[in-house]
Amino acid sequence: MKHILKLAMSILLILIFTAGCDTDELHNLNINPNAVTEIDMNFFMTTAILGMASAGPLVDNRNTDYTNLGFAGHAIQHFAGTGTSAGDKYFEENISNVWQYFYRDSPKYAAEIIKQTGPGGIYEGKQVNTRSAARIIRPFWMHRLTDFYGNIPYSEAHRGIEGIYQPKYDKQKDIYIDCLKELDEACAAFNASDMDYPNFAKADFLFHGDVEKWKKFGYSLMLRLAMRVSNVDPGLAANYVTKAVAGGTMAGNGDNAWAQMAMGPYNWVNQNGLSRSLWPGDGGLWSSNLFSKTFIDILKGSDPSSTADDDPRLYIFTQGPIKWSATDLGVILEPDPLKWIGLPVGYDASMINNEYGGGNPVTPYEHFCAINTKMLRIDAPYLLMYAAESEFLKAEAILRNIGTVPGTAQSHYEAGVRLAMQMYTPLDPSFTVTDARVDTYLSQYPYDEANALEQIGTQLWISKFLMWWDSWSDWRRTGYPVLVEVNYPGNATGGKIPRKFLYPPAEAAGNPNFADGATKPDKMTTRVWWDGGSD
Amino acid sequence: MNKKEVYQILKRTLLMLICVVFSHSLPAQQHVVSGSVRDVNGAGLPGVSILVKGTTVGTITDAQGRYSISAGSDATLQFSFIGYVTQEVAVGNRSVIDMILEEDIQQLGEVVVTALGIERSQKALQSSITKVPGVGLTTARENSLGNAMQGRVAGVNISRSQTGVAGSSRVIIRGNKSLGGSNQPLYVIDGVPMDNTQFGQVGLWGGTDQGDGLTSLNPDDIESITVLKGAAAAALYGSRGGYGVINITTKRGTQRKGIGMEFNSNYVFEKVYRLDDLQEEYGPGGLKLDPANPSGPRIFSKPASQLEAWNWGNGSMWGPKYDGSMVYQFDGVQRPYSFAGDNWERFYKTGTSWTNSFAVTGGGERQTFRFSFSDLKDTYIIPLQGFNRKNLSLTTNGKFGKRFTFNAKVMYSNEKTKNRSLLNDSPANVPYAIWGLARNVNVMDLYGDPNKPGAVPVGTITPDLKKPGEEFSQASSQFTQNPWWAAYQMTNQNIRERFITSGELRYNIFDWLYVQGRVGMDYYTRNSNILVPQGTGYLRNGSKDHTTSFVKELNLEWIIGADKTIGNINVNAFMGANKMTHESETMDVLGQVFNIPFFPSITNTNQKNIFYGYTKTGINSLFGSVEIGYKRFLYITATGRNDWFSVLNPLSNNKFYPSLGGSFVFTDAFKGLPEFLNFGKLRAAWGQVATANVGAYSIQPTYMLYGGGHLGLPMGIYSFGDLIPNPNLKPALSSEIEFGTDLKLFGGRVGFEFTYYTQRTTNDILAATVSQTTGFNSTSINIGELTNHGYEILLSGTPVQGTVTWDVSLNIAHNKNKVVELAPGIDRVFIDEPRTRAAGVYHLKGYPYGMILGFVQKTDPATGKKVYDAQGRPVRSDVYEILGNGVAKFTGGLSNTLTWKSFALDFLIDYKFGGDLYSGTEVNLTNWGLHKQTLAYREGGMPVEGVIQTGTDSNGNPVYEPFSKTLNQEETRNYWSYVTSYAQERFVYDASFIKLRQIQLEYRLPQKLLTKTPFTNGSISAVGRNLWILYRNTDNIDPESTYTSGSAQGVEQFAMPTTRSYGFNLRVTF
Repeated sequence: MKHILKLAMSILLILIFTAGCDTDELHNLNINPNAVTEIDMNFFMTTAILGMASAGPLVDNRNTDYTNLGFAGHAIQHFAGTGTSAGDKYFEENISNVWQYFYRDSPKYAAEIIKQTGPGGIYEGKQVNTRSAARIIRPFWMHRLTDFYGNIPYSEAHRGIEGIYQPKYDKQKDIYIDCLKELDEACAAFNASDMDYPNFAKADFLFHGDVEKWKKFGYSLMLRLAMRVSNVDPGLAANYVTKAVAGGTMAGNGDNAWAQMAMGPYNWVNQNGLSRSLWPGDGGLWSSNLFSKTFIDILKGSDPSSTADDDPRLYIFTQGPIKWSATDLGVILEPDPLKWIGLPVGYDASMINNEYGGGNPVTPYEHFCAINTKMLRIDAPYLLMYAAESEFLKAEAILRNIGTVPGTAQSHYEAGVRLAMQMYTPLDPSFTVTDARVDTYLSQYPYDEANALEQIGTQLWISKFLMWWDSWSDWRRTGYPVLVEVNYPGNATGGKIPRKFLYPPAEAAGNPNFADGATKPDKMTTRVWWDGGSD
Repeated sequence: MNKKEVYQILKRTLLMLICVVFSHSLPAQQHVVSGSVRDVNGAGLPGVSILVKGTTVGTITDAQGRYSISAGSDATLQFSFIGYVTQEVAVGNRSVIDMILEEDIQQLGEVVVTALGIERSQKALQSSITKVPGVGLTTARENSLGNAMQGRVAGVNISRSQTGVAGSSRVIIRGNKSLGGSNQPLYVIDGVPMDNTQFGQVGLWGGTDQGDGLTSLNPDDIESITVLKGAAAAALYGSRGGYGVINITTKRGTQRKGIGMEFNSNYVFEKVYRLDDLQEEYGPGGLKLDPANPSGPRIFSKPASQLEAWNWGNGSMWGPKYDGSMVYQFDGVQRPYSFAGDNWERFYKTGTSWTNSFAVTGGGERQTFRFSFSDLKDTYIIPLQGFNRKNLSLTTNGKFGKRFTFNAKVMYSNEKTKNRSLLNDSPANVPYAIWGLARNVNVMDLYGDPNKPGAVPVGTITPDLKKPGEEFSQASSQFTQNPWWAAYQMTNQNIRERFITSGELRYNIFDWLYVQGRVGMDYYTRNSNILVPQGTGYLRNGSKDHTTSFVKELNLEWIIGADKTIGNINVNAFMGANKMTHESETMDVLGQVFNIPFFPSITNTNQKNIFYGYTKTGINSLFGSVEIGYKRFLYITATGRNDWFSVLNPLSNNKFYPSLGGSFVFTDAFKGLPEFLNFGKLRAAWGQVATANVGAYSIQPTYMLYGGGHLGLPMGIYSFGDLIPNPNLKPALSSEIEFGTDLKLFGGRVGFEFTYYTQRTTNDILAATVSQTTGFNSTSINIGELTNHGYEILLSGTPVQGTVTWDVSLNIAHNKNKVVELAPGIDRVFIDEPRTRAAGVYHLKGYPYGMILGFVQKTDPATGKKVYDAQGRPVRSDVYEILGNGVAKFTGGLSNTLTWKSFALDFLIDYKFGGDLYSGTEVNLTNWGLHKQTLAYREGGMPVEGVIQTGTDSNGNPVYEPFSKTLNQEETRNYWSYVTSYAQERFVYDASFIKLRQIQLEYRLPQKLLTKTPFTNGSISAVGRNLWILYRNTDNIDPESTYTSGSAQGVEQFAMPTTRSYGFNLRVTF
């Protein structure tokens, strides 16, 4: 009896214990105590804006700007180097950084905002301004991506959570049509009296909730996109050029989009990735990105023996050759600007030695102009969009008779030059260019109707300093300025400046939609649709 | 009280204990009796207990069956061992008593610890279980238990990652069973699971191997290891036993008079095993215009300035032939342009490892205990790299009254690992820097500041304008490290403090019925810090990172069991329940930019960023087992288990899985079998195991805030990183059938075991690569399917028996793996890629687990000829082609023991065949002009013959024409550059090897020497590990080279050099 009692008690104990095999307690273990199921989309807005300035929280912010600087900055010949790369000497390279990191950063957060503030979303019908800003940010990135690669996933991109794991490819033309439509709708929808406005204003560190500035950003971007397709689809271009101009593009440098960066807390995330890419204190590559002869020659004006005819931006962009280390922050090696020279494009070290050292070794940074260290504070604001571009595009639209643009080509061109020269003060107060100095420049290099397209293209090219990605697209479209093409042994393009990035091998191999949807052939010489390629 | 003081006190206590024992005078009539215990077949019997009859004085035999005990001349020794007839012998004046024990057919055979720590008769086992005695792991040692088991068990494929001191190892039992899981077995210590989390691997961008759980264990505490290979054997361990179970039984105290002590001291040297064989004819340099012919092709040129030397300071041996002329080096000093001698010899030092272990055992009838302490000090081949481990353990077993038994255990370990190497990619990678260094440079010239190795000395101006105290770079790439700087200044440290504790209480309700409860906990904290000092090339402002984490795994378990014999039928059954929770938390603070120069404290950093991680998961389980035995020759066992997983959606979070098996001892069942057949058993088993390879919180999308935000504004992000959540996941299922036989022939002198198995995993959960245009990298899906088939053979024998005895055993295992299904529309899943980024490891549908793919040189399909471009350079394939597979198909070992008088010679040879290795090291050595294959036609004249594409036909297919060209210097250089970028098939090696893994020569101190001492037993051994590669097909590297114990096997680049170790071991008991 005693044993039976013990047995019964033991079994009872086990039953009590095992009764709870599948319990709430077990299920609750899988609730992440550090995550939520709903979040204010304005928190995503901050992330999306930060991601516009190189990369956001995903990755070292230099990764994307290495492409901006190392590929595009060299391809359009603001910079030159002695190495062999895709941008510099057209060696074959898979430039997948921007694909990997852009798709997974800013436009992804913008897409989530658009989804959650759209039909069926948590904030459907709310957070109107946050939604509109997101609908500007997404085209801002997606047009860049399609400019780089050609056809890309767009309509099905960023829908992984819905189960679309291998998105289909959209034609560049369709992407442009949709981006322009999105910009149009977004700009129209901004509403400063929306209930959620204060939260948006707080999260928006780009314009601090100034919806008028967002609209100007949106219309400026619309103008850029419209002009980009102008060679291949004049009707689409005209329609949106007219809309953009009527809507109101960035009018002054006060409208420019500068994303404020910070020293911390994390240098990979909060600092200016472009500055970091060059800043020697953080392993930056300033000495392999010296100014090209092409760029310096243009900035030095028509008379190399005079400084009077120089472009004032020469003295913003460079201080001549410098010695720069973590402790010697930009010691000026050559104070006389007349002796400043740029590094010829397409040269390797031995060619430099031959030409500049009489066969003896030459230290390139001691001879050629480097970027001005004042431009590269690591918490410097990051330039995303600026007014001068819109003025140049308007001048071009008038000249080419695209859409309805008030004013004259000359007035817009001159306004563009003025804005472009005067826009760098947020980087350093010493970068002030007076109106008088601009007037002098304009009188030295007057607007010339006959060569206006080249003048506009060249000014646009200079003004895209810091945004070489976009400059590369401008150059592919306009052909201005005429750049030096080099045919270095072993290059992959037959001596032609690349016109397209190669798709990342992982995407080509992994996405079954690649075969039918991507822009082919996948070569650096293939032209994208707006560049005259097939749609 | 700090740790140092604790150890001081501990040390004193131990010393005192030793003194107490030493002063203990033995009774005059007592003398030491020693000898060996063998079975009728002459094999030494380990674990036989020997008791002085009528007393509590006792001992047990060692792995070779040897013992020694002190007894009076009037005493009687009682030899007993489960499964054998107990024998008694009067001692008399004899000092040597050898004993042969006969198998007791009335008793069950040898017992083996199986699931849940339950001992079962070997006869009843239906699946292959291999037992490794602990003594084999302690004489010649490895820091990691995983590495120590290499080659010893058929069907266990162990890959040691070559990542330096305290690295992790990959232990794969019967093949990889999951595409996304770790495939690593569950480690169980005395019935309680141990956490074996791997805290970080070397990857594409370098990094360190942060080790695994297997380095925490003190091999001296291990009595034996049982490897449970099949699904049926592991079924009762639940999902985490799905990849096999390694069951570790620790030593316990024995009932004896007085206190017994064991002391073991092991001292070994560790040296680089040189396999490098590089060219020493051509120096650093590059292509320059030929002054004699400036319009002609460029030629190889020596560095003409400090800057040029610096530009070519690492991995650019493309200069002219050494000529002894004075040329500039990286530091601006001119030295002869000639081979500067062996930098490996100058840089790598001889490491040493010293282990001292001490154990005290004792106990009476009611309770026994064992206490042990062990101290390991290991310094490695790279300066300042080292591993220290201290282990303490206390085990006690007791019996209260007639019906209660209990045991309790605390194991504590303190592991301190200093300066784990960063490998693969170049930052902080010492082997990389040594391999790539210009070979006219003496590495001692890089030492720099004598008081700060690797730093710029005062008065030297470097091309990168570094200040004194900053890194003294030999090359222009800021990612190329000065090896001294990497070794001495770029420091890192981990400290792990770990407690593995358990308690078990059993109540025998009746003689045949018991209930048992067990609580086990594995708890540890890890503290790591990593310093990138100020002045480091790629991060000149420096950073310091501190990570603190804890891991806690708790297991609660109840069992009710019965063991009853009725007539010819024996029933052994139990059922129980287990509740497991696993919790971990990590806090990581990264500080960047030092304020006070060269003061490497995190408090001195300008910016601090905090990362925080927390997970908790659980599994609840119910299980049961019934074994029915008939006349002790026929056994049927059935088990069942149901697991509930917290990580899955409650709608699909559980799975029931059964196993069924039988064994038939036909030599016991039938009379009249041939005489040479002493024992024979047939066995068969089928079993299933469910697994859920899913991280916590990864089934539904959630949001969180990112780290420090921006400008004080919160930044929203997804909480699940790059893996898209999937709410529909359910457990994966692995099913396995095995058949086998165990035979003993010719009086037991020949043993033969054979097992065939076939295994299939369905609904495997894998992280399927998705297009990055989704915004993510991968998603977990439940569709994978893969199979493993194989066999295992164990042949053992005693070819020579007598004065000289030779025991030999050979194990052979073959495993064939196939990825049957990935997911609809997906034919490959990316695993990882080596730093060359011209190859990668993928799961490929229809092929074995983990295929190596990469660019190869294009071939004209019509003629089979290689395609070149107009410059004579290889043209790459359009897509990655198959290069090989990194998982060996055949694995095994040959172990030998030769005994003669007081000498025993053990040696273990192990081998692997049928795997491939893609060598990033060889790729780089070739591109750098260091590999000997780049010597041919280096000065021009290389003939290239193949085809060239001249256009495309109307279908868009390429048209090829024959092509031949003789390359000049520049074209030759470019040729090799293209070979190393594209023709990756040239760098895939057959990774097969045969190695002399271990050798030990033991001398047992004669008893007459010991009688005057307090010692009862003593032996001294010469030991060596990893001594000799008997067979290999690689050029400059070890075929076992790898920098990861993760899934990407078969790729390597600049891992730690292979080492060999040799030394001495001293063991005494008293």
